[in-house]
Amino acid sequence: MRKKLLAVVLSVCMVSAFALAGCGDSGSGNEGSGNDADGSGENQEAENGAEGENSGEDDASGGKGYVFTANGVEIAVDADMGPILEALGDDYSYFEEPSCAIPDTTAKIYTYSGFEVDTYQDGDTDLVGSIILKDDTVATAEGVDLSMTKADVIEAYGEEYTEEGTALVYEKDGMTLSFILDGDNIASIQYDSSVIN
Amino acid sequence: MERNRAKKKTAVRVLLSAVIILVVLYLLQRLLMPKYMSGVVEGAMVSEYYDEKKDHDVIFIGDCELYENISPMVLWEEYGINSYIRGTAQQLIWQSYYLMEETFTYEKPDVVVFNVLSMKYDEPQRETYNRMTLDGMKWSRSKIGSIKASMTEEENFLDYVFPLLRYHSRWNELSGEDFKYFWHREKVTHNGYYMRVDALPAENVPEGKILADYQFGDNAYYYLDKMVELCEKNDVELVLVKAPSLAPYWYDEWEVQMEDYAREHDLKYYNFLELIDEVGLDFTTDTYDAGLHLNLSGAEKMAHYFGRVLAEDCGLENRRGEEELERAWEKKRQAYDAEIARQQEALEAGEPVK
Repeated sequence: MRKKLLAVVLSVCMVSAFALAGCGDSGSGNEGSGNDADGSGENQEAENGAEGENSGEDDASGGKGYVFTANGVEIAVDADMGPILEALGDDYSYFEEPSCAIPDTTAKIYTYSGFEVDTYQDGDTDLVGSIILKDDTVATAEGVDLSMTKADVIEAYGEEYTEEGTALVYEKDGMTLSFILDGDNIASIQYDSSVIN
Repeated sequence: MERNRAKKKTAVRVLLSAVIILVVLYLLQRLLMPKYMSGVVEGAMVSEYYDEKKDHDVIFIGDCELYENISPMVLWEEYGINSYIRGTAQQLIWQSYYLMEETFTYEKPDVVVFNVLSMKYDEPQRETYNRMTLDGMKWSRSKIGSIKASMTEEENFLDYVFPLLRYHSRWNELSGEDFKYFWHREKVTHNGYYMRVDALPAENVPEGKILADYQFGDNAYYYLDKMVELCEKNDVELVLVKAPSLAPYWYDEWEVQMEDYAREHDLKYYNFLELIDEVGLDFTTDTYDAGLHLNLSGAEKMAHYFGRVLAEDCGLENRRGEEELERAWEKKRQAYDAEIARQQEALEAGEPVK
């Protein structure tokens, strides 16, 4: 009787150990799966919502979708902010917005003359999450700025948009370019990564 | 006769085996679930409430804008208000509702204070935050309701019923903490208040991005309505607040909606962003993360101001002098002072306070 009981206990332990080992292996090879409720603070790309869509697949330069250019520097969503920051120079103001309770998920906001770049963390790297055009001293690569109207947007970008609230939203390679309208006028232009949406 | 005995033996063996399997699985689950005792301590907050004597005058329910921004210790010492903060990180409004519902099964406070920032969320957000709020709740109808309302598309209800299914992959991340806190947890808050003594001045706080739609969602309003009904049913006064956090940005359009709602439902609503000078907050010294949350100095100023509001506007009585409460709060004061000393020591040594 005792031997059988012992055998049962050992079997349970072995089965559990094998199961856990198997799961552990798949887990460690599955970073970015979107699951990090383990309190460890690890797997931070999942915490940022990267969930494998962009992290690890695209190169650090981003480069997909609509791209904004300022002072000759190309800024694409999901691109590494490091080289962009260096190329744009020191004339900006800076703010950090860490996520509550989750380490290494700090959003950084760089405000330049005419536009703002918000980043999200992917491991140790800050990637571009959003670019926001704030006045008409800057324009999109397709030539639309804040002094223009809804008709100008449609002329430049076409009819293939969706309406979300007061915004015309154009999607390209997973990212979005939104023209938020105030009546017929453009109130804001925003490039957003799918990672932060 | 012999056959019956053999049958009984078999039945006992099967039963015993089943019990052993269940015990082993339970122990494994206990070992593998995150303990939240260091680093991300916010996951340990919800369960601390169950150890409290449930005799509170005020219960605060909401996100980090509550549990980091007001000190129950000062509410007690200056106004004799016995309060507790049932806060968790990014607590969504349906989670607040179910925490309120659960709280009312234990006690009926005079006032519940709810922070309205979570009105901006209309649908489930992240599993990580869900877990921090839900795993710590005791099983009840409220917990089940909260899980169902909170789950993202990727989550399963069964993973909450049997957390081992969710956390089994932690086996290779186990640390000493998992063994040390296998049976017990230490307190990470002071009546729900998460303390920080360090300071980081607020500078360059950006304005919010222009939004395509400022309307709070139907689901958010649905749960706010349910909160109002639940408080009315239990004869508890619901007070709405917007904490004085400078970020995330609180839009004027949102403010109008909350003012209208409070007026239409005859609720008190205090937007502390508009009361920063009156409260005496100085965002060069009273915040530890550049304006997102208050530090100890800021949280005590908030309690000093809001305690007077609760006493005068909500008619809360001063309970100083009640012997049992005095003794309980004296003990809490010692833990509060010890934490201040620990953090100040860490600061002086140039170490992180968290």
